[in-house]
Amino acid sequence: MEMKKIEINDNHPLMEKENLFYKEFPSDFRQIRYFTLLIVQKAPPEIREINLLEQQISELIKNAVKHGNHSDPEKLVKVWYTFSEDYARIIIEDEGDGFKAIQEWNEFNAKRNDCLVNEDYETLSEFVSYRTEKSDDNDGGNAMFAALEYWDNGVVFTEKANCVAVGKSFHRKKTGIQMD
Amino acid sequence: MELKVRKSGSVYIIDIEGEMDLYNAFKLKELVGKMLEKRITLFVLNMEKVEYIDSSGIGALIYVSSALKKRSARLIITNVHGSVKKVIELTKLTGYFPMRDTLKEGILELQRGQ
Repeated sequence: MEMKKIEINDNHPLMEKENLFYKEFPSDFRQIRYFTLLIVQKAPPEIREINLLEQQISELIKNAVKHGNHSDPEKLVKVWYTFSEDYARIIIEDEGDGFKAIQEWNEFNAKRNDCLVNEDYETLSEFVSYRTEKSDDNDGGNAMFAALEYWDNGVVFTEKANCVAVGKSFHRKKTGIQMD
Repeated sequence: MELKVRKSGSVYIIDIEGEMDLYNAFKLKELVGKMLEKRITLFVLNMEKVEYIDSSGIGALIYVSSALKKRSARLIITNVHGSVKKVIELTKLTGYFPMRDTLKEGILELQRGQ
């Protein structure tokens, strides 16, 4: 299994802002899902997969509002985004100190994946969520594991790590949620 | 998100309806906490009417499943479908959560295990 990692690269193609839509929001925790909807409404229904695209984008906005800007309404979250019928790309920047623990997170994720590959659910319970001393009870501690899986073109932070870019290609025949 | 509790024999079913997100996922943790204080040991979480979950919702499921394990209570999560199923798959926790397709299967399994 290829080991996916969060990358750090200011010059990554996903970071390219030219020709992208732009919105900025105050860091209001209560409006995270509303802000997300304002962005996702630009996406064609084919790639929304009911609400999966919305959910994945809301996680990144939540991280920027809560962990980046500490829900300080004076601080902005800036979002650049583009959608088509087979592609989604979004860049989210906050005014915080940056996600300093990327290396540590990647190591944690590697251990977590080892548990999953070996179906070692006993040890997995220690790696099921990523938590730091700054985490609170409402932090799931699992959003970035899913992000790495979902955004198949990569999850990339800048060196300063207060800006993340993600991209996903949708293969028209293979997408979609199985409807039971 | 609405939470309703009903009983089937000695199994307590929590019907969850709506969206389990960052604004309300904590309610499930609180409810299960109260039920554990009442020494309830057999739990089914029925997710049939949950159409949206985010990392806080997944976090609540992780919290509930480990809290129940610690108290030797048993849990089965049923009727996970659509994008909720997809989010659990993306988080790679499909094998970690005790999930069954139908409510009936979940209840029977807990009753058999007594």
